[in-house]
Amino acid sequence: MHTKVLLQKEMLENWRNKKWIWVPLVFLLLAIMDPISNYYLPQILESIGGLPDGTVLELPEYAPQDILLMSLGQFSSLGVLLIVLISMGTIAGEQKNGVMDLLLIKPISYRSIILAKWFSLLLLVWTSLFLGITASWYYTNSLYGEIEFLSMLLVTFYYGLWLTLVVTISIFYNAIIQTPGLVAFLTILTTIILSIVTNVFGTHIKWSPVNLSTYIHEMLVLGSVTSQLIATAFTTIVLIIIILSVAIYCFKKKQH
Amino acid sequence: MTLLTITNLTKKFSNKLAVNNVNYTLTPQKCVALIGPNGAGKTTILRMLTGLLKPSSGVIQFANKPKNDDARSFIGYLPQYPVFYNWMTGMEFLTFSGQLEGLTKQESVKRATFLMEKIGIANTKNKRIGNYSGGMKQRLGIAQAIIHRPKLLVLDEPVSSLDPIGRREVLSLMEELKQQMTILFSTHILGDADEISDELLLLKEGEIIESGEMHVLRQKYQTAKISIQCHENLPIYRDKISTLSSVRNVYIERDTIQITAHNIQNARQEILQIASKEQWPLTNFTLHRASLEDMFMKVVNE
Amino acid sequence: MQEMFESINWAVITPLLVIQGILLIIAIIDWAKVEKTNGPRWMWFFIIIFIYTIGPIAYFIFGRRQQ
Repeated sequence: MHTKVLLQKEMLENWRNKKWIWVPLVFLLLAIMDPISNYYLPQILESIGGLPDGTVLELPEYAPQDILLMSLGQFSSLGVLLIVLISMGTIAGEQKNGVMDLLLIKPISYRSIILAKWFSLLLLVWTSLFLGITASWYYTNSLYGEIEFLSMLLVTFYYGLWLTLVVTISIFYNAIIQTPGLVAFLTILTTIILSIVTNVFGTHIKWSPVNLSTYIHEMLVLGSVTSQLIATAFTTIVLIIIILSVAIYCFKKKQH
Repeated sequence: MTLLTITNLTKKFSNKLAVNNVNYTLTPQKCVALIGPNGAGKTTILRMLTGLLKPSSGVIQFANKPKNDDARSFIGYLPQYPVFYNWMTGMEFLTFSGQLEGLTKQESVKRATFLMEKIGIANTKNKRIGNYSGGMKQRLGIAQAIIHRPKLLVLDEPVSSLDPIGRREVLSLMEELKQQMTILFSTHILGDADEISDELLLLKEGEIIESGEMHVLRQKYQTAKISIQCHENLPIYRDKISTLSSVRNVYIERDTIQITAHNIQNARQEILQIASKEQWPLTNFTLHRASLEDMFMKVVNE
Repeated sequence: MQEMFESINWAVITPLLVIQGILLIIAIIDWAKVEKTNGPRWMWFFIIIFIYTIGPIAYFIFGRRQQ
């Protein structure tokens, strides 16, 4: 009940500050950059000139799957950075400037506040991701070769879990820290540490959320969902639930 | 009749004792002023009442509160520096507040419309709060605090930041509201407390050093005080007055001689006698009742 | 250059230009309506206009006052 009211407020806010316009647009941009630039790379190199006559340009031939994965690569770097930047103040900022006080004196649960923030961000991120991947898929199909529609949906779903984890980590730091910049820094640091740990102990933690991209690649190449991917997705969901619960608990604790 | 009982309320911040063993009982439909110098712990007490801060020890107990009810729904609170969502309109913010208090959307809209009218900012109800003036924000803050008709309205320094007109508006709003609910407000401006409160809590360094009903306190701290004004030669008259037996202390403050007495009636007689006998050029003779400020200074300095 | 222009498939490029155009326009509209920005208001105008694509995005993230 309260969560719904709070969620409506978040949606209205993100509409008024135009996040609902520009965030999806940026994801679209990130998604179609690589498909287009790789397609025109030969012409671009030719027009710049400077190559001696007779030089044979040997550019890699991309498979359609590679192109879709390039878009995911953009989401993993710039997309994640964007998510961290738009979410860094969502609770921290409201606590810092005092507007949160007017919420906390209402008879609403701390859980509602966190869940509304979390869910509103997820709606924005998932919508942007879906639009971006659809655009990338469209370009891949028209310029490079066919990828099944179902594959695209699966990519969106599994990759969305990774972005959901990033959002959840950001919400966690938001709940315990009041400085937006620090929230952003720690969120990025956490994802970096997560990938370092995964790479170092790779054989022991096969189901680390960081490996989602690898298994998504595998899925596209093999054309079927592997058990590894399902297990990793499961780990990620469990991790998300745990972090979110701890965030709610800490937020409650911190108010006193 | 009891609304709320505060028992042994204490708050420690790291090593500093901000509030020390406060006990008080609030009765319904009273306006209570919490007075004290800056840093006395006023805001800390109010924040503990509203649930924003957890007491280090002690109990805040609402009388007649069903066990599972959230105490916050009995309270409306206006922080000292209320911050709003500037991108919302006043009307949207009030409706939002009402819904969070558990009203339905329709009830909320109805109540918000009514309150916008009542606090006198109905003409700006669809303007963004970011464009509101300080006084308008303060009134919006009170409106969001009373949207659910709380039993206790807690106001932290409601008028200190306002200009005289804004101050007058908020005070008369409080005057009206105290018919319907208990108001507990903090202030460091004595005049405000004097004007509208029924009870007084004097706070110093986290402790209540004096409390009670206004008229009782007034009697208790009644200081006999006379002030007279003359055209000239104030020091001469001062010296003469100081020889009178009923007078305790005499001093000159700008163009006025201030006199405190052991016995105010005797002092008045003696001064008037000597003044008429010697034909002092008096322009003014005043008998004072104790001002809140005298009382405050007396208690705080003790 | 001429050759390159002719060889470009505009159906492919147009969406890219449209997205960048919308970002620019939305940012400018928002900038015009907002009274205060983080940092000098005019600086943001030039950033939005002259820094290709990154400018409008930077404005939304850093220039706009939140809350």
